[in-house]
Amino acid sequence: MIPVAYNLRNLAVRKTTTLATAAGLGLVVFVFASVLMLANSIERTLGRSGRPDVAIVLRKGSDAELASGIEAQQVSLILGNADVAKRPDGKPDGVGEIAAVILLPKLGTDGESNVQVRGVPDDVMAFRPSVTLVEGRPAQPGSDEVIVGKAISGRFKGLTLGQSFELRKNRPLKVVGIFADGGSSFESEVWGDVHSVGSAFGRQGSMSSVRVRLLSPAKFDGFKASIDQNQQLGLEVLRETDYYEKQSEGMNVFIGALGISIAFLFSVGAMIGAMITMYGSIANRQREIGTLRALGFSRFSILLSFLLESICLALIGGAIGALASLAMGMVRFSMVNFASFSEVVFTFEPTPGIMLGSLAVAVVMGLFGGFLPAVQAARMSPIKAMRG
Amino acid sequence: MGEGQREGKKPIVELDGVGKTYFRDKEPVVVLDNISLDIEEGSYEALMGPSGSGKSTLLNLIAGLDRPSRGSARVAGQELSGMSDSALATFRSRTMGFIFQAYNLMPVLTAVENVELPLLLTKLSRGERKKRAQTALRVVGLEERMNHYPRQLSGGQEQRVAIARAIVNDPRIIVADEPTGDLDRKSADEILTLLEKLNKEFNKTILMVTHDPQAAERATVIHRLDKGNLS
Ligand SMILES: Nc1ncnc2c1ncn2[C@@H]1O[C@H](COP(=O)(O)OP(=O)(O)OP(=O)(O)O)[C@@H](O)[C@H]1O
Ligand SMILES: [Mg+2]
Repeated sequence: MIPVAYNLRNLAVRKTTTLATAAGLGLVVFVFASVLMLANSIERTLGRSGRPDVAIVLRKGSDAELASGIEAQQVSLILGNADVAKRPDGKPDGVGEIAAVILLPKLGTDGESNVQVRGVPDDVMAFRPSVTLVEGRPAQPGSDEVIVGKAISGRFKGLTLGQSFELRKNRPLKVVGIFADGGSSFESEVWGDVHSVGSAFGRQGSMSSVRVRLLSPAKFDGFKASIDQNQQLGLEVLRETDYYEKQSEGMNVFIGALGISIAFLFSVGAMIGAMITMYGSIANRQREIGTLRALGFSRFSILLSFLLESICLALIGGAIGALASLAMGMVRFSMVNFASFSEVVFTFEPTPGIMLGSLAVAVVMGLFGGFLPAVQAARMSPIKAMRG
Repeated sequence: MGEGQREGKKPIVELDGVGKTYFRDKEPVVVLDNISLDIEEGSYEALMGPSGSGKSTLLNLIAGLDRPSRGSARVAGQELSGMSDSALATFRSRTMGFIFQAYNLMPVLTAVENVELPLLLTKLSRGERKKRAQTALRVVGLEERMNHYPRQLSGGQEQRVAIARAIVNDPRIIVADEPTGDLDRKSADEILTLLEKLNKEFNKTILMVTHDPQAAERATVIHRLDKGNLS
């Protein structure tokens, strides 16, 4: 076999061309990896919000909390179900909440964006033990105080510890705490008192959703059946994980389609770039190739050698692109969740699988871009060695 | 380097009625007409003739780089006319050593790596390959330059590295197409002396195309080619 050092050093000799071509290939890998990292983040962010043993109850026909309404009497009926787990104090482990969105000015830009506001009962922390305060203090029950998720804190006017914003005209709410929830989408929400939020939006006595923790995930079917059975209620039961998965699917399909089509378009250009570079390289090395053939190297080993060179070129690009995409880890990206019409903040979360996949994309581009030039090299006659 | 001891039996090159016709825009161009030629093993022969007379074409046929259009070419006991491309490649790697006018070293490989190239087609271990490549470089007097790149060598030194590459596989035949064509007189003489040494000490059969009468004089036999026929 022709030594790989031969290919690597040829790439090194043509530094500028190699780097320019690799940069083109790297751009594709960068876009590809970033899209996957974002999709991963969306899935994880929304996925983290759901727990397998929690069921969410909405009004029938409403896909999202925002469009749903459940009367107060129905709430106690749902909480009273035998499949619902009990807290140590004997109360059912569930919450009725109000979901709403408000428009707030974004900091650092001229624009405004929707923020999801959740009216939560006093015992919400007991229901969601993963939520912790990272700054400030809890809101006073029944007051106009709120706590803000750390992903959006500081990104909107008024959503900073100690500041206030208006829920409605002349209904200022004061931010007294910042909370975290392991990167879930709750971190992109504002949590206020369920009664204050309800009255501000004219929704006293009506909840958006009821969440209950079941005795075990296996109890879901029984719980659902007993709610469904009571047709008059007109309610719909979903696993909380399924509820968020559906939301992440919609966003992922959108981002995935957009990102992958951009990556695909770029990749056509990058592969043509690699092809041109390899054709040029081969044209400059006709006599070398002829000499290798004269010495007895087979057509196949020439083909292999140039495919390898093209793949190495692409891997240089792949490494550049993958490293650049890792730098995207610093970037926080906010996007409208179409299910809640409000902003959710995502990051770019790399995984070893995504990095390997990106390098695989580079290898494939190298193979496709290098194939025709390598075939041309392999067809070169050894007589080329004799003439210039 | 072992010495092929095949004294005087059958010639190592036997050409019988060999012709080569190229087609240029569907027009046949007869480059070699009807060549019959025997070369004994261990001889040192030169091929001369005007430009375009077909010297390189003939050398390429004998070396297994190309196939004749007609006639029979037996080289080292093998009939080349019907051989496949890959069989010819194997034949070249085992039987032929090549010396080119422009040296044809790989610019990105060091002297010793260039010399080692033909050994990559054998089953020799890495260590054995390095050892043989160094031995070949010693034969041409460039062992201490083994880690130099071609651009760090003079033309004459480059050609000596190329000669080391041509002999590292211990081939029976060495073909050289104007090996001194790009060299000054002094370097050319060094190369010719080296070829003589390979012929006398290592019993290599050498076939050399040249325009240089002084070069041709070193050979034991001089063939003259004119318009596709030996005269
Ligand atoms: N592949 C080819 N296709 C068409 N014609 C060719 C081909 N190869 C060689 N020829 C022609 O064959 C003739 C002989 O070429 P060749 O290279 O053998 O000459 P030469 O004697 O080596 O000349 P020089 O001394 O200039 O090297 C030339 O007219 C050349 O144009
Ligand atoms: Mg010639």
